Amino acid sequence: MFFTKMALFAALLFSITACGDNLFPSGSDKRAPVVSGSTGSAVGQNAADFSVSDINNSTVTLASSLSGRKGAVFYFTMWCPICDGHMSSLRSAVAPGFPDVGFYLVDYVSGTVTDAASAAAANGYSGGMFAILADTSHSLQNSFQATMGTTVLVDKSGIIKMNEDYRDGTRLLAELNRL
Amino acid sequence: MGLQSVLPTATRPSPLRCNVMKTCPLISVAAALLSGAAILSANLSFAGSCCGGGSATTLNVPKYAKAVADLSFEMEKYDGFWNQDGVHIKDPPGSDLNQYRMIAGVGYRLAQNWQASISVPYVWNDNKYSGVSSNTRDLGDTTVSLLYELHDDPSAWKVREAADLIPGVTIGASLLLPTGVSPYDSVTSSFDVTGRGFYRLDGNLLLEKTLQPFNASIALSYGTYFERSVNREYGKYVEPYRKSLGDRASASGSLGYTYVMGSGGDSIGASINYAFLHEDDSKYSGKTYDNSGFAKQSFGAALTYANVDSDWSLRAGWNHGIQSKGWGRNFPTTDIFSMGVRYVFH
Repeated sequence: MFFTKMALFAALLFSITACGDNLFPSGSDKRAPVVSGSTGSAVGQNAADFSVSDINNSTVTLASSLSGRKGAVFYFTMWCPICDGHMSSLRSAVAPGFPDVGFYLVDYVSGTVTDAASAAAANGYSGGMFAILADTSHSLQNSFQATMGTTVLVDKSGIIKMNEDYRDGTRLLAELNRL
Repeated sequence: MGLQSVLPTATRPSPLRCNVMKTCPLISVAAALLSGAAILSANLSFAGSCCGGGSATTLNVPKYAKAVADLSFEMEKYDGFWNQDGVHIKDPPGSDLNQYRMIAGVGYRLAQNWQASISVPYVWNDNKYSGVSSNTRDLGDTTVSLLYELHDDPSAWKVREAADLIPGVTIGASLLLPTGVSPYDSVTSSFDVTGRGFYRLDGNLLLEKTLQPFNASIALSYGTYFERSVNREYGKYVEPYRKSLGDRASASGSLGYTYVMGSGGDSIGASINYAFLHEDDSKYSGKTYDNSGFAKQSFGAALTYANVDSDWSLRAGWNHGIQSKGWGRNFPTTDIFSMGVRYVFH
């Protein structure tokens, strides 16, 4: 009887663990090959042009973000604890070392420039080395297929060099050093 | 009333195959067991709005009972967060962030002092900001537990000897299974996340003491996540790497009072509780990412109604994160409202 119960319990466990690919994580590289010269969100593609207002109501485009710089970094924030940690790391450990790179925090959750400005101020990012973009139409979010923590690096020629979660900033630093 | 009745859990484990993981899970299992405690319950729920949720609750089968079935509903309302310095920050204007969880659990007595349980949450994320809204739902992370009752609490009405003061002691282990939707699944937004995507093994210790009509409990747990491979983030394939979340420790305590209605009839119990949760920094390919861990302290209260045989019980609870500096770090401040019904099979 004991073994029957254990078998039933094991069967229940197995049925539950049959869902979700987190149960057996894959470490294989499944990135699709990129067609050189194409426009998209993948590393190696050209970044799509955009036009977004910052919290000072100035318009920022892809061209203006790269003008006179080696590249531009776009960090997507929803003003959450994880975002706060990433932004703090960006501010203290990354941005100061690259004065010739533009750093942008992209607020993709606020519906107005005013709300984005309030959120930035509440989180201590209303000024300084970062420009805050209010992506109210989600154009940047959609073109980079971004979500919380997504960090995009575009070089001066408009090619995406990185598009992934910020993690610990190591990858971003490596890519910035390659610019 | 045990804390497990009122406090949700958040968890997530990893594959039990050494060829999949850099760190052999058996070593991690042993480490977790040796390190002492993961509790039978009282872990706190992880963020729903930004960081994934999915909670489950481990169950205790009462002594002399065969099994217990439990169904609970929780609403977790997010209201800002503690930043890295422990300062409370408000959510963006116009935001309304909630996670709802329906948790089904079954506990079964395997032998006189052994019991096993499983808890499966179903999670709804309901997030509204001034510029975006999202409503998603899916299975959360599942918890399976094995418990051993080391010492029974006689639940004395009067202390007659020193032995009457010895608490009931239960030890056990819980395994969190990443059955929820994690950032490493085929999702497009952080709003879709219902689990953390990692296996975790907890060692648990529960001390309970009843001196009628009062009762008290202390729950301790220590858990370790298993490192895993990641090749996808929010649906986008990335260069593969390995990631591990930091070890997690939690402690909680409760004080309760039970009022028996009439002469030995139905009873009503009330309790207050405190909980502490800490998770160490994450690691990427073995390298620690400073300041990625978190901490949370919270207070709660609960009411329980049980029938005369204590086979049916109803409960309602509230857990509150203090929105002031120093009560947490890197973690959302939330209120958790819960209701549940439990049936004990004798």
